Amino acid sequence: MAGMGDIVVLVKAALNPETVRAKPDGSVDVDAMSLKISDIDRNAVEEASKLKKALGGKVYGVTILTWGPVSKRTKDLKMVVQEALAKGVDEAIIVADDSIIPGDPVTTASAIVAALKKEGITPDLILAGEATVDGFTGQVAGRVAAKLGLPYVSFARKLEVADGKVVAERDLEDHIEKVEAPLPAVVSVTREINQPRPPTLLQIRRAAKKPQRTYKASDLDGVVQPKRKIEELKIVTVKRKQVIIEGDTLEEVADKLIDYLVKEGVLQI
Amino acid sequence: MSVLVLASSERDAGEAIAAFSPVGEVVVLAYGAGAGEASAIAEYGVKVYRLDSINPEEVYAAVKKLYDELKPRIVGGVSTKNNKDILSRLAGLYDLPMTTEAVDVKVEGDSVVYKRGALSARAVATERAPLPAIVLLAPRKFKPAEKKGGGSVEEVKVEGAPRVKIVETAEKAKGGVNLEEAEIIVSVGRGFKKKEDLKLAFELAELLGAQIGCSRPIAADLKWLSEDHWVGLSGKKVAPKLYIAIGISGAPQHIAGILDSKIIVAINKDKSAQIFKHADYGVVADLYQFLPVLIKKLKERMGKA
Repeated sequence: MAGMGDIVVLVKAALNPETVRAKPDGSVDVDAMSLKISDIDRNAVEEASKLKKALGGKVYGVTILTWGPVSKRTKDLKMVVQEALAKGVDEAIIVADDSIIPGDPVTTASAIVAALKKEGITPDLILAGEATVDGFTGQVAGRVAAKLGLPYVSFARKLEVADGKVVAERDLEDHIEKVEAPLPAVVSVTREINQPRPPTLLQIRRAAKKPQRTYKASDLDGVVQPKRKIEELKIVTVKRKQVIIEGDTLEEVADKLIDYLVKEGVLQI
Repeated sequence: MSVLVLASSERDAGEAIAAFSPVGEVVVLAYGAGAGEASAIAEYGVKVYRLDSINPEEVYAAVKKLYDELKPRIVGGVSTKNNKDILSRLAGLYDLPMTTEAVDVKVEGDSVVYKRGALSARAVATERAPLPAIVLLAPRKFKPAEKKGGGSVEEVKVEGAPRVKIVETAEKAKGGVNLEEAEIIVSVGRGFKKKEDLKLAFELAELLGAQIGCSRPIAADLKWLSEDHWVGLSGKKVAPKLYIAIGISGAPQHIAGILDSKIIVAINKDKSAQIFKHADYGVVADLYQFLPVLIKKLKERMGKA
């Protein structure tokens, strides 16, 4: 049962940018891409498992599937959830439904809030990565905070929890801002906050036995339909020359390199 | 009223006003450092609401109040971390669509269409969202608007104390670089075995009049250089005419920060390093052997030997 001191960590099954393939017309073949746990969410999970002791509750992972169709994403989704469970999440809550796919942050945030309500979870802390590796807009945590009326601390690269409050260092463009907020609160973290450890074999084995509950949108109240449409997704064609400079000696290579740069007009000598 | 712009500097305000003026009338909420520049922002010929606070919770309260009163079609600005923080809350409260790092922004009827980089800069997405919407622009992609004068400034206040309190603000250590403006960048990565060895790159940079950049591990993990040297998705996005990547493997997050470079040179001893796929000229060599030779040759040819 959900209780005092619980932590919720938002875990996205993100498109793995490394698996980008082009269709003949130059658009991204999204169906051929695999999903993986969004890199920075790994840091959020690591931080959740670290703070679990201080708060004394459970860690719930919430995953809203945004890329479909569900039938073709089941295997990847399972791996993402297993990884989160192996790394410290105690129970996984999943929303997977073709009627809200492809998703957008409007839908994701509303589904997170709806799933927490359905589960009766009222966490002391909600953690998320600062952004996900596929969309990288970094807005879901802030949306969830506003919907729940909770204090929000973004871009935390350091986090401490004690005496019913969080103390965090926000990593801004030119400043580090130290802030303090009462619990419950929502915090987004950066990659710098910790070094996620790979799970042990024992953790991986235990993960398989941890509870997982999957919902459809119709099981929940207040899931908002996606509003943003992706009309086109084109591969960026990098037209680099890719000339590997060769020579019998490094002197020759250096000379050739300098010649090329002078010819390109980027070096004046 | 059509567009409510959120800005914490005069430059950001100028870029957003230029981008959104075609949509209709623009008003600006100037906060943080932007509050001190409110009169300068008003010279763009816009009404400026001035909020003397840098606390995102207070700025959110002010934006919400203005949004409720003015009913803008777009709430926008430049994609800064605080703008993202503040406007994601407004987006959540009213279930508004929101994007960041947008370019080519156009309003067509009841929707906004824009482009943005996606999938760690490997793709460009064209997206459409119904109005009202939140649109944060890619920084330094729009030329600031002309100052035509005639604007005005009005103070705004928010009630009550914020729950999140700013305890302390510290400026980040700076290495005296301004990579966004650099013409030539010599950038260093994990190929360097120890901090002292970076002097090879410093020497090359001095010869070329270049600034020093680095990959994530050098700034974030090893801390050999301050964070203002960090090039990449989470660091600086750069656009020099010449980018020389030394001992950098070419992680996608690094590549995403150098796409706008005119010419990219890669020096790496691993011929299968990803960086070579993103380079115009590649040298497969041990940097410890090649850099001294390159420096010597450059000195000779520059008449400095």
